[in-house]
Amino acid sequence: MTDALVFPARRIVRRGLVLIVLGLLGLVLVYVLALRFTPTERFQGLPQKIFYVHVPAAWCALLAFSLVGIASILYLWLRDPRLDLFAESAAEVGLVFSVVMLTTGPLWGKPVWNTWWTWDARLTFTLILFFLFVGYRALRGAIQDPGERARFSAVVGILGLVLVPFVHLTVYLFRTLHPQPIVLKPSAPSLPWEMLRTLLSSLGVFTVLLLGFLLTRYGLAAEARLAGGDDAR
Amino acid sequence: MPAEPNANAGYLVAAYVVTAVFLAGYALILWRRAARDSRE
Repeated sequence: MTDALVFPARRIVRRGLVLIVLGLLGLVLVYVLALRFTPTERFQGLPQKIFYVHVPAAWCALLAFSLVGIASILYLWLRDPRLDLFAESAAEVGLVFSVVMLTTGPLWGKPVWNTWWTWDARLTFTLILFFLFVGYRALRGAIQDPGERARFSAVVGILGLVLVPFVHLTVYLFRTLHPQPIVLKPSAPSLPWEMLRTLLSSLGVFTVLLLGFLLTRYGLAAEARLAGGDDAR
Repeated sequence: MPAEPNANAGYLVAAYVVTAVFLAGYALILWRRAARDSRE
């Protein structure tokens, strides 16, 4: 281990922590914006405002899982262990955002659909994606050899990447209770400006948090690897 | 039929609290790992 290698990892951790603090402060502002300065939807009432945390959490979870897949493809091609560490970090961060998505979804569904959960295509495939990455984490914990662990988990990471667009398209491919996208679609967003402004602010804040979590987790894993340990678990 | 004002507010509060707890909780876990690693 050399200080020259450890210091960049520490710098990455520090930058990540700064982004996390900014993101958490931004989350407070998003709450104020959503609760005080955004109109309440006429038919759903107050539970519709769960939209401003549920959609950004879903966006971050799917983005993180996509990054796992991309880093996994690059790892199998380039065999750079940093890509494996990045994939591992993105999987953990993706799981955190998935937990937010999977808890806020039923909290929105109960007052609007009158049920906490329904086995329709969007919800079922999202849950499958979540369990795939729980399995990814378990697989990494079960294999001792770093090279073998990186190869096997890269294959699972790529399978997750294949599922991500499918999860997004389920609302078009199947009859489902889940609403269709109102922003990420070919035509213009179908939201009043005040609601769109709050949603975009929240997407920005959640993305900052995602970057902060990713940088910090990756920096910690790199530091641990350089110190002779396995990772930052 | 339009929703009554403040109806089902508990679901909104629960969702916002859960989101803050998970995100701040994970931030705290990472911060503690970073603090532990910098001491070693």
